[in-house]
Amino acid sequence: MSARFARLARDQNTILAAVIIAGVIVLTISSSGGFLSPISIETFFQFLAIPIVIGLAQMAALAVNQMNLAVGAIGGFAACSAGVLIADFGVPPWLGGLIAILIGLAAGVLNGLIVVLTQINGFIVTLATMTILSGAQYAIVGTRTITSASWPEIAAIGTARPLGIPLIFWIAVGIAILLSVAYRQTLLARNMLASGGNPLAATLSGISNSRSLVTAHGLSGLLCGVAAFLVLASLPGVNKSIGEDWLLSSFAAPIIGGVSLTGGTVAVLGTVLAATIVRLVDSARAQFQLEPSWVNFVIGAVVLGTVALDRVRTRRPATRQRSRRTPPDAPPTAASRAIDPGAPA
Amino acid sequence: MTDTAYALEVRGITKTFPGVRALDEVNLRLKPGEVHALLGENGAGKSTLIKIITGIQPQDSGELIVNGEAQTFRSAHEATRAGIGVVHQERNVITDFTVAENIVLGNTPVKGGRVQWREVREGAKRVLDLLDFPIDPATPTSLLSPAQTQLVEIARGLYTDSAVLLLDEPTASISETESKLLFDVVHRLAAQGRAILFVSHKLEEVFAHCDTVTVFRDGRSVAESEPLANYSKDTIVDLLVGRTLAKLEVPVRSPSEAGTPALELRDVSTAGGHRDVSFAVHPGQILGIYGLVGAGRSELAKAILGLDRITSGEVRVNGAPAQIRSVGDALGRYGIGYVTEDRKAEGLFLDQTVARNLTVTVLKRLSNAFGFVRERAARATADEYIASLDVKVSNRDQLVGQLSGGNQQKVSLGKWLAANTDTLIIDEPTVGIDVRTKGAFYQLIWALAEQGKAVLVISSDLAEMVTLVDRIVVMQDFEVTGSVTNTHDYDEMSKSVIRLIHEERIDVVEG
Repeated sequence: MSARFARLARDQNTILAAVIIAGVIVLTISSSGGFLSPISIETFFQFLAIPIVIGLAQMAALAVNQMNLAVGAIGGFAACSAGVLIADFGVPPWLGGLIAILIGLAAGVLNGLIVVLTQINGFIVTLATMTILSGAQYAIVGTRTITSASWPEIAAIGTARPLGIPLIFWIAVGIAILLSVAYRQTLLARNMLASGGNPLAATLSGISNSRSLVTAHGLSGLLCGVAAFLVLASLPGVNKSIGEDWLLSSFAAPIIGGVSLTGGTVAVLGTVLAATIVRLVDSARAQFQLEPSWVNFVIGAVVLGTVALDRVRTRRPATRQRSRRTPPDAPPTAASRAIDPGAPA
Repeated sequence: MTDTAYALEVRGITKTFPGVRALDEVNLRLKPGEVHALLGENGAGKSTLIKIITGIQPQDSGELIVNGEAQTFRSAHEATRAGIGVVHQERNVITDFTVAENIVLGNTPVKGGRVQWREVREGAKRVLDLLDFPIDPATPTSLLSPAQTQLVEIARGLYTDSAVLLLDEPTASISETESKLLFDVVHRLAAQGRAILFVSHKLEEVFAHCDTVTVFRDGRSVAESEPLANYSKDTIVDLLVGRTLAKLEVPVRSPSEAGTPALELRDVSTAGGHRDVSFAVHPGQILGIYGLVGAGRSELAKAILGLDRITSGEVRVNGAPAQIRSVGDALGRYGIGYVTEDRKAEGLFLDQTVARNLTVTVLKRLSNAFGFVRERAARATADEYIASLDVKVSNRDQLVGQLSGGNQQKVSLGKWLAANTDTLIIDEPTVGIDVRTKGAFYQLIWALAEQGKAVLVISSDLAEMVTLVDRIVVMQDFEVTGSVTNTHDYDEMSKSVIRLIHEERIDVVEG
C-alpha cells in the first residue's frame, strides 16, 4: 500500500486513539481515579468484546457494498437456540456453543444466497431475515431467561481474566487480528473487496461477484455467531432481548472507524478503536448517571458527524501526480510565463 | 478438422438479444504475429464479439476456436486461461486498490490462498516499464486521471502474457505520445508471434499500425480478414457506413479575436497545481486546449467551474471578474456550460429517460410558478434536441443507458445545447464515437460558433484539434506553454505543438 494512503489510514486511527485517550482522561478525573480501578477496567473490557465482533460483522457486509441489518437477530437467535438446546435438550455445552457459531454462519450464507439468487437489495433481504429471526428467537425462548448455570464450562471463559483483562476481550482482539491479516493476504478477501469496489471491473476480470457476496454475508453471519458464543460466555443468561440493541453499534464501529459506505474497503483497527469509543460513551453515561437514551442520541449524532466529515474530506481535491514526462534536459524549475492569448504563434 | 495456423478463429458466430440480431454469422481469422483491425460503427457488433471472445457472454451459435481448440467460455477467467488478454474500452478499475493490484486483478499471484504482494508489485512494475509509464505501482488508483487510468487498463491487458490480445479502443482517451508507446509495445508483441485484435475508430491509427482488417456493419462481417493494403481510408469508410459518405467539409473560419472575450483566464493558479494559466476565448471562436496525459487539461476546466480552488489570478466572464462557485453557478449566473469527459460517470443519468436527461439543465425554465415541471414544454424541448442532434432512439422515453456510446454522447451534449449558454466547455467531445457521428459533432460545434457562442474544446486527439478548432493552446505540466493559430495542416500543427510541449520552455530559459 502506498505511503500516502498508509499515512491517511494512520491519521484516522491516530484521531480515534486521541479521542479514546481524551475520553479515558475525562472519565478518570470525573471519577476521581475510580475509572482506572481494576474492577472498572475489567468491566470496561468485558462489555467491549461483543461490540467489536458485531462491528466487524457489519464491516464484512459493508466491504462488499451490502448491509447486514440482521446482525442482532442472527446473534440473538443463535444464542437462544444454543441456550434452549443445552438447557432443555441436554446438548453438551461445548457442542451448543459450536452450534451457535454454525447457526450464525448458516444464516449469513442464507442471506448471501438470497441476495444473489433474487437480485434483491441486501438491505431488504436482511431486513426480512432480521424480522423472521427475531420472531423465531421469541418463539423458542418466549418470555423466560435461561441462565448460564446450564453451561458452566462456557461461562468459565467469561470469567477468565488473563493479565487482568477478560479473556473474551482477548478473543475479540484475536479475531480482529485474524481478519486484518485475512483482508490483506487472502485472495478470497481481495476478491470481496474488488467486487465491493467495482463489481463491473471485477466481472471483467473474471471475479465472481456472486461468490464475493455469499462469502461476505457468510463471514458477517459467522461473526454474529461468534458474538452469540461470547454472549453465552459472558452474560448471566439468554432471553428474547439478546441482540435487540446491536444494530446501531454494529454500524457505528465500522463507520466511525473509516469503512467506506460504498464498498471496497475495510478498516479493522479503526473498527476496534471506534467500538472502544462507543464503549466509552456508555461508561460516561453510567459515570454521569445520564438516561440510557442519551447513549443512543450521542452515538447516532457521532455516526452522522463522521459520515458528514468523511464527505467533506473526500471532496478536498487530491494532490495531483506530477508528470515525469518533462524532457530530461529541461531545467528543473522552468520559468513559467503567461502568454498573450491573442498573440500569433 | 481445425486449422492451427490461426491463433483465433471466429466461425459463423451469431448472437441475438431480445429484438436485435447483434451478430449474424460473422467470421474472423487472426494469425499469430499479425495486428488485425476490427472496424465498425457504433452498434455494428464489435463489442458483442469482444464480449464473446473474452467470456463475458456466450454465443448462440457458431464456433470460437482458440489455438486450434473450439471454446465456449463461461467466464472471463476461462478466456484468460485459454490465453486471451483484453484491454477493455471502459475504464473499469477498483479505485480502492493500488495500480499494482488493479493490473493483476483476476490473475493475482497466490500461494496457498495468500496473495504474494512482492510478485504483484514486481509483475505490475514489469508491465509499467514495458509501457514506459512512469508511475509507482503502489499509487492508489483513485488519484489517477482518466487517461492514466486508461493506461492502467492497458497494462492489465498486457500482464497476462496472452497469445491473443484484444485492444478495444485503447487509445480513446490517451494522448499521441502514450499511443505511440502503446503501438511500440503492440508491434513488439506481434513480432514475438502474438496475435493482436485492435478495435478503433481512429482510421489514421489503423492504417499506420494494422496488417489486416475485418469490417462489421449491422452485425455482419462485410470484409473478412483481408489485407489492409487492399483498402484506402475512403473505401473503408464506404464499407463502414454502407454508402459513400460525403467528405467532411471543414468550413473556412476566421473568428475575430478582437473585443471582449467571453471567458478569460488571467494568471490563474489553482490548489490542484496549475501555475499562471492565461488564455481567452472570444464569442464565435473555438479554442482548443491540448496537452499530454497529466498536463492538467480537464483539471483546469474543473477549476474554472469552481470544483477546485483558484489560489491566485482571475477568471473574467464577458470582461467582468467572475466568482464561479459551482456548475450551477456557472450555468445560472455566467452562462457557461460544461460537457464532461467521462459521460457515464459524470454526464448522464443512465437509468433515466432521454427526455429527462435532455431537460435536466433547463428544468427551472420549464417549471411553472409552483415548481411543477411543465411536462408538455419539457417533451417539446426533448423532441427538439433529439431531432436536431439526430439521436437514434425509439422514443424520448427510452432509457439513456440503453443507447450506444455515440448516442449517449449526443444526449450529454444535447442537455447543454438546451441550456443555450454563451460559453460551452467540451471535454473530449468524440472519445469512443464513430466516424459518421464524429463528423456530425464537428458540424454541430462549428454551427454553435457561427451562432456567436464561445467554445472551449479540451482534447488529447491532435487530429481532432487540427480539424475542429481555431486556435490551439498547449498545456504541459499544469502550465500553458504557448498557443498557435490552427492552419488545419496536420503535419505543420503537430510540429508546432510538439515543439511547444518539449522545447519551448528551454528556449525561454535560454532567452
